[in-house]
Amino acid sequence: MHATIQKPIEEIAGWFRSGEKVFVVGCDNCAAKCRSGGIPETEEMAKRLKKRGVNAFAWCVPQPKGTSLCKLSNTKKVLQEEYGEQTKEADSFLVLSCGQGIHTVMDATEGKVVHPGCDTIFGGETVSDDFITEYCSLCGECVVEYTGGLCPVTLCAKSLLNGPCGGAKDGKCEVDRTRDCGWQLIYDRLKSLGRLDQVKEYKEPKRNSRWSRPRSLALAEGSTTFRSLAGEHTVASTD
Amino acid sequence: MSKLKQALDSGKFVVTGEIGPPKGVNIAKCLEDAESLRDRVVAVNVTDLQSAVMRIGSMAVCARLVQRGLEPVYQLTCRDRNRLALQSDLLSAWALGIENVLCLTGDHPNLGDHAEAKPVYDLDSVQLLQAASTLNGGHDMAGHELEGNPDFFLGGVVTPGAEPQELHIIKMRKKVAAGARFFQSQAVYEPEKFEQFMNRIQGLEVPVMAGIVVLKSAAMARYMNANVAGISVPESLIEEMAATPKEERRQKAVEISARLIRQVKPLCQGVHIMPLGWDDLVPEIIKEAELD
Repeated sequence: MHATIQKPIEEIAGWFRSGEKVFVVGCDNCAAKCRSGGIPETEEMAKRLKKRGVNAFAWCVPQPKGTSLCKLSNTKKVLQEEYGEQTKEADSFLVLSCGQGIHTVMDATEGKVVHPGCDTIFGGETVSDDFITEYCSLCGECVVEYTGGLCPVTLCAKSLLNGPCGGAKDGKCEVDRTRDCGWQLIYDRLKSLGRLDQVKEYKEPKRNSRWSRPRSLALAEGSTTFRSLAGEHTVASTD
Repeated sequence: MSKLKQALDSGKFVVTGEIGPPKGVNIAKCLEDAESLRDRVVAVNVTDLQSAVMRIGSMAVCARLVQRGLEPVYQLTCRDRNRLALQSDLLSAWALGIENVLCLTGDHPNLGDHAEAKPVYDLDSVQLLQAASTLNGGHDMAGHELEGNPDFFLGGVVTPGAEPQELHIIKMRKKVAAGARFFQSQAVYEPEKFEQFMNRIQGLEVPVMAGIVVLKSAAMARYMNANVAGISVPESLIEEMAATPKEERRQKAVEISARLIRQVKPLCQGVHIMPLGWDDLVPEIIKEAELD
C-alpha cells in the first residue's frame, strides 16, 4: 500500500485562486486505510476548506468500496459519468491520495488542474488498523532471499548489503536509538532459521538503473515487461 | 611504495596516528598536529568529514601531508559519493601521491551538521574495497581498462566490541576477501575482550591495529559509553580519570594510553592512536609505552 498523510490544512487552503471551484476527490483504498482520503476525511476536507473561504463545492470518493483511485478506468467513469456535471464545473481537483492517484485524476479529467492534498510517504504493510510501517523500498531488485525476508535496503538506514556498520548500539540504529538496527533483525532471524551462512557471500552493488524513475510495467498475454533504465525486462508467467 | 605496508609486512609493531581536518580552509593547526606525529608514527590517518560534519576534505589534507613528506592514510567513506565519485576520487588520490586508503561506511548524515543531506551509500564498505581492488587491477567497476592503474594499500575498520560480533566478523572476512590488507579498530579499552576478539579471528592473517582513543576526561568516557557503539570504558578507568585533578589529566591520559598499548601489544600487529587534538601527547605516549 502507498502510505499517505494529509498536508497541513493551512498549506492546502493557501493554494486556491479567488473563486476557484474545487472538487475534492479521495481514494477508497490506501488513502482510506491511512485515514487521509477515505469518505469521512474527504467530506471533512471539503467542509474545512469551505470554513476557510474556499469554494469546495463538491466531493467524492470513487466507489465501489475499496477501489483504488489510481485505477484509471474506474476513476474516469465515476468523474465523467456519475459526477460529470461537477467535473465539468470544477476549476481544479484537490486529491486526497498518493501521487499516483493525483496523476490518475489528471488523466481522468483530460488534464484539469490538480492539487496534492497529501504527502506520499512510503510503501508499507498495514500491520493493524492503526499502524502502517515500511518494509520495502520498491528498489526493483529484491534481495530478501539472502536476508531472511527482511530488506536491508529498507531496514538499514544506510541500505548496506554486506552487513552492519559499526554504529548500532544495543541493537538500535545510530540514526535513531529507538529504532532497531536492520542488520540486528536480519541476524536474529537468520540465526533462528539456521541460515546465517546466507550472508557470508559477497553481495554486489545494486543496479540502480532498475531503481530509475519513471518506470513502467506492460502486461501481455502470458508475459509481463518491466521497463526501466536497465532496459526492458520481460518475464513469462507460465512455462 | 607504502611505508605502512612495508612496516606491517616486516612484522614490526606499527603505530599510526590520526588528524581531523577543520571546518574551513585554515589547515595550519591540523598540519601542526600531523607534524607532532612525524617520526613517531608510520602513517597519519586523515578523517573524511568525521561525524558527518562538513569540513575540508581528507584528500586535500592528505596531499598536503604528502608534500611535507608525511605518509597519509586517506579515509574514504561511502556516505557522500556514488561509485563514479568514489572511483574518481581514488584515482585522484593516487595522482596526488596517496597510497594508503581506509575504506569506511561513514556516519549517517543525520548525525552531522547537514542533517537534510541525501545519504548516498551507493556502495557499502565491502563493495568500496572491492572497487578499489578492481582499480588496483587495472579496471574500473564497469570493467573498462584504466590508462595506468593505482596500487593502493587498502584497509578496513573493525569494531571489536560491536554486537552481534559473529556478524561483524563475517563482514570483516568479506572485507579481507574484497582486498583489505590491514585493519584499524574502533577504540579498545578492555584488553581482555580485545584478546577474545583476536582469538575469534585467528587465521585471518591480516594485521589488526588496535584503536587507542586518548581518554581526556571521565565525562568523555561516560559520553562514549552512552553514545558510541562498540566502546565500553570500564568503570575503573572512569574512576581513575575522575580522581585526577584537571591539571594532571593530560599526564593521566598519557599513562592510560601507554598502559593500554602495552596490554594490547602482544595481541595484535600495531596500534592506531586517535589523539583527538591532543596530538602533542603522542610522542610521550609512545615513549611511555616503550615503543620507541
